[in-house]
Amino acid sequence: MNFVIIAVVVVVAVTLRILRHRRRHSTGSRSTHSGPTSINSDIGLIVVREVRERFRGRVFKVGTLFILIVVAAAIVIPTLHNGKAKPQNVGIVGTLSSPLRATVLSSAKSVGVTVHLLPEADVKSAKSELQSGRINAVIVNGGQLIVNSPLSPTDSSPGAQLVRAVAENLGIAEAFQAARLSTSQSETLMSAKALPITSVQPGKGKALEATSLIGAILIFVMLSQYNTWILLGVMEEKSSRVIEVLLSAVRPLQLLTGKVMGIGLVALAQASLVVAFALVLSKSVGSHLLHGTGPLVVVSTLVWLVLGYAFYSWVYAAAGSTVERQDQVQSLALPLSLPMIFGYVVALTGASSGSPSALMRVLAYLPPTAPFEMPVLVGFSAVTWWEFLASAIISVLCTVGVARLAATIYRRAILRTGGRVRFRELLARTAR
Amino acid sequence: MRSRTRGWQPHSSWLELSLSKVNERLKRFAIDILGTVTHLLQVEGLCRRFGTLTALDNLTFDVPSGQVVGFLGPNGAGKTTTMRAIFGLTDLDAGEIKWNGSVVGQTERRRFGYMPEERGLYPGMLVGEQLQYLGRLHGMTRDDASTASISWLGRLGVADRADSKVESLSHGNQQRVQMAAALLHGPEVLVLDEPLAGLDPSGIDAIGEILTEQARSGCCVIFSSHQLDQVEDLCESVVIIDKGHLVVTGRVDDLATSGPRRLVVRVEGDRSATWAKGIDGVTVSEVTGGEARLVLDPSVDSDLVLQLARRAGRVTEFVFQRRRLSELFRDTVK
Repeated sequence: MNFVIIAVVVVVAVTLRILRHRRRHSTGSRSTHSGPTSINSDIGLIVVREVRERFRGRVFKVGTLFILIVVAAAIVIPTLHNGKAKPQNVGIVGTLSSPLRATVLSSAKSVGVTVHLLPEADVKSAKSELQSGRINAVIVNGGQLIVNSPLSPTDSSPGAQLVRAVAENLGIAEAFQAARLSTSQSETLMSAKALPITSVQPGKGKALEATSLIGAILIFVMLSQYNTWILLGVMEEKSSRVIEVLLSAVRPLQLLTGKVMGIGLVALAQASLVVAFALVLSKSVGSHLLHGTGPLVVVSTLVWLVLGYAFYSWVYAAAGSTVERQDQVQSLALPLSLPMIFGYVVALTGASSGSPSALMRVLAYLPPTAPFEMPVLVGFSAVTWWEFLASAIISVLCTVGVARLAATIYRRAILRTGGRVRFRELLARTAR
Repeated sequence: MRSRTRGWQPHSSWLELSLSKVNERLKRFAIDILGTVTHLLQVEGLCRRFGTLTALDNLTFDVPSGQVVGFLGPNGAGKTTTMRAIFGLTDLDAGEIKWNGSVVGQTERRRFGYMPEERGLYPGMLVGEQLQYLGRLHGMTRDDASTASISWLGRLGVADRADSKVESLSHGNQQRVQMAAALLHGPEVLVLDEPLAGLDPSGIDAIGEILTEQARSGCCVIFSSHQLDQVEDLCESVVIIDKGHLVVTGRVDDLATSGPRRLVVRVEGDRSATWAKGIDGVTVSEVTGGEARLVLDPSVDSDLVLQLARRAGRVTEFVFQRRRLSELFRDTVK
């Protein structure tokens, strides 16, 4: 966990240092034209504008707040269940033999609640007690169990768990009596315990499953948000015709790179903030999210957020350069997001099922889906370090190829107005 | 025979190349020694086709510094494509843009100012910040860009809108901000596509004054417009194109005094100038408010025209006039 905190601090510090250095550098010069500026400084200007405009936007502020609330809920709510459940009152009508009384108490213990057995005069008064909520269940003569309202199969509250356990165990006790077993035989059978199961791999538990789930959700939400920004940002520059003014001063590739880097920095800053917040909060509330391979899942989530953004941002930028109206954007957004949705659903299913599927292992090596699958596989300890590295290298190499193709499409499409530009037209050898 | 052709071809190309280089150097030398013309933007042999449509057809003309040059042509003549070509915003099938004899690249373009036909600014960005950003992309320092943006916004009458978003400005004020964006970095070449469209008379006067001032300070200024009277007032030279090729170029004074003689005649009692119709060698080009504009063939004696006018009624006006730009435009662009 310390490693994650250090990584987050380093990213934020480097970003601030670059921005500060640029500011100091720019205020030093006094001439109107500072001479031929370098490509890097042009990209830097574009990056700074993107970062400033995005940080100022209401969408960023509200979006960050929303993500923080979701993360806080995901961390805090599970810890609330760890506390002691309140005692349950069970009414007794008629007689309840000592073995059956012991059965009820042991059932309560098995589901982690304490129980008070309260004598009731008759069934009628017991039912009114049930309706008033003073007692949770009534046992009539050790052979009937009454509750106020039917139990839902999905109800996992302590009261529901207690009723189910008591019903099951009293039923078994009744069967033992029908089989004419002696008291000692019944007790021996009732105290039967399941055999312990041991595994070769270390256990993962629900906490780790939750960490992987949060990671996959975070990557999906952030990639969707920031890639949409890229798509809309490029379209806005084209539709507002500011692109002509910009390209009279800088090259298309510089403009595109600056935009991708600027929005990427905002994404990384937001992700770092969310991770830092999650770390601090989980430590302060004593969450188990970061136990075991949890820190590795967090680091892996950050790494794949960056790699996923790098891959998709170029695709979305190229797509944005072919359209200039909102309705055209909408028709593009769905097909572009399909690989992300597919990878996300497979990752969620895998994380919930408790074991990685073969499909998930395959998708972990494909750049469009790897950002969702790989952090979950890391959570399951189902990948070695070299498999992780191999997938990252495949992703980086594909990103370079995609970026080159995107730059070509962008250069050819961004100045073509008057309708959506067809990709086939742009990729033709003679296209200009 | 075959080998001989092969032997001559490279030599011929080399010779052409050398002559071309010598020509360029002579031009640069001429530019250097002439006090008035110190810079020159050259548009050379531009060709651009969009499918079957020829937008530019071997278009060639020069824009010298120190003059305001009007760039005229009917709709679809290729004006905007030419201006975009100057900034590398459209690919060319042939031709090149030169600045002081050298082919223009990104470094040179950074010192040019451009105002596109369809205005282009970030709608949600603050005016002042946007101008500073654009100034810095043109190589200015932060302080200089800030000072220049304040100065130009003041000059164009929108100083109080520096902290407003562009989208909250009226069309005219957005145009003023766009103009400031083109001027901010003190460009050596100013290319403006329809800068006067949609402006009120005071805005037109302000921009006209600025263009003249820029030209006087040594900038190459070229702008397109369909408001020919204003172009005539503002420009020293014009370039007229049609269907992608050059129709005529030259100084407005020279073009106005060239061609057939023009007479303005007003005869009392004949507001439709019927007296002038049917005279051999005389064409009535325009009749407005009883004032007839006549174009005389070289063989026509103007005294004869005066006599015929007197017969029709009392002559209250009889003046030789220059050819107006609108007339030149109509004469040259069919």
